[in-house]
Amino acid sequence: MRAFVALWKREVFSMLVSPFAYVLLGVWFLLNGMLFVVALSTQQVLADLRLLPPYLFGSGMLVWLLLPAFPPLLCIRLFAEEHRVGTLEPLLTAPIRDFAVVLAKYFAACVFFLLFWSGVLLLFLLLHWHGADLDWARVLGGMTGAILVSFLFLATGLWASSWSSNLVLGAGGGAALNYLLLFVPALFELNEGPLGSISRSMHLPNFLDRGFSAGLLDSYALVYLLGLSVLFLFLTWMRLVSRRWVP
Amino acid sequence: MIKTEQLTKHYGTIHALSEVDLEVAPGEILGFLGPNGAGKSTTLRILSGYLPPTSGKASINGLDLMNESLAARRCTGYLPENFVAPSELRVSEYLRFRAALKGMGRKQVPAEVQRVAKHLGLEPRLRQPFSALSKGFRQRVGLADALLGDPPALLLDEPFSGLDPLQREEFRSILTNLAADGKAILFSSHVLPEVEEIATRVLILHQGRSKAVGTLEDLQSHLHEKAKLCVRLSDASPKATEVFEAAAADLDFSFEVQNAKNYLIELNDHGRRSDLFQRLANADLPVIEFRELRPDLDQLFRSLVEESSA
Repeated sequence: MRAFVALWKREVFSMLVSPFAYVLLGVWFLLNGMLFVVALSTQQVLADLRLLPPYLFGSGMLVWLLLPAFPPLLCIRLFAEEHRVGTLEPLLTAPIRDFAVVLAKYFAACVFFLLFWSGVLLLFLLLHWHGADLDWARVLGGMTGAILVSFLFLATGLWASSWSSNLVLGAGGGAALNYLLLFVPALFELNEGPLGSISRSMHLPNFLDRGFSAGLLDSYALVYLLGLSVLFLFLTWMRLVSRRWVP
Repeated sequence: MIKTEQLTKHYGTIHALSEVDLEVAPGEILGFLGPNGAGKSTTLRILSGYLPPTSGKASINGLDLMNESLAARRCTGYLPENFVAPSELRVSEYLRFRAALKGMGRKQVPAEVQRVAKHLGLEPRLRQPFSALSKGFRQRVGLADALLGDPPALLLDEPFSGLDPLQREEFRSILTNLAADGKAILFSSHVLPEVEEIATRVLILHQGRSKAVGTLEDLQSHLHEKAKLCVRLSDASPKATEVFEAAAADLDFSFEVQNAKNYLIELNDHGRRSDLFQRLANADLPVIEFRELRPDLDQLFRSLVEESSA
């Protein structure tokens, strides 16, 4: 446990002092601010502010465009960069289990990504302080859903980062995987029959739009998101173990 | 104690290591020699727990690296080739992190970091970022990392690479002191004089196979069964050649005279060196040098590698 905590702390610290992480954070805040303004300026949202969370967290560009790209960028340093620089070997020869290495890095990325969401929360608080009548159950529900989706995207990003020392492959591969998770179910959700029903049950924006952003805690979505995150963490662990066999 | 039995590692069809046996006792320094691709780093990576072997056994302090990997890794200090620490961390931060990673408690960590920093002369550098250190100090940080927790076994992959002569000398004395403290040290190197100077025993690896292992003296006598001696006289003595001729018949050696003062002798029996010395002393010859000409490690290494390549 000591080793796990030590590694988790070091990863959080490394992100906190990384200029690249702050550039990502800055770009995220900027683009989110712009998307927030765009969302607020639509007639429907202006008429009913309760529509803001589903618009922002479900059908808006935040989820469809930004969210799949940022977590893998944050994750590239976790394995690919360590591998490239040569710090992975000392880490993997320390007395710490491989799955503890994966979890410590993942939880560090999750904690740091909460900073990204804090900016969005701040925008809602600003609205509130300016007298807007917000439905906080919807806001917090939508944000919880979006955080869970971002945790899933961090897990895929971590897996992509473990593929090789190539940073472009790590970031690009993770982002591509996330876009596939978003778009493939969307392509087939209107299909009648089993393919359509399977696609609908995997459609992430639906979870956010109709479930979390409506202020509902959807247990199916919760299990799906957590289960998929665990699957990608398991794949990362498998990659780490196989790296020992085929360097 | 570091031990391998029939250690083998294949990467697909490539046989990186074939049935290597080695043993390093506490207080011993085993120098690991071999050309590039001989399997030195693979062996050290297996022993450090980074790679599993294809077959065979490896253990540290009696702990099997496959079945008790974590416990074995706790007993091992490993300095990889081209050691690098995260550039954003200061030396003290990195060492504190590594100490905690090795399972040390919050109270233990500062004292342990201080201990290794003092031991390796790193105290003035503790507040510097790793990226600002010279190659020599980076290697020291790597060694300090390996020494955290006072492990009984040290695995050092090319510890002298990139060091200047002064740094090498310091590093050599650090390793000698560590062995004197009872640590079992296995290190690989391309710098043959370093190996010659500090290794208690030498293991020569070629194409994944162990070609020779033993003390330098053992290897020298294995390669050159005949002893070659150089005897130098202060003056050219007329009776010297007569003495040598008489002794050659009794002690079974041949000799060659150079400059009337230097005698190159090839003794068929190593054990008769002292008899020859006695004969020269009794004959009252003005001997100012009596020296055995041994092949150095460089020659030994070349001979063994050429022999196995042939």
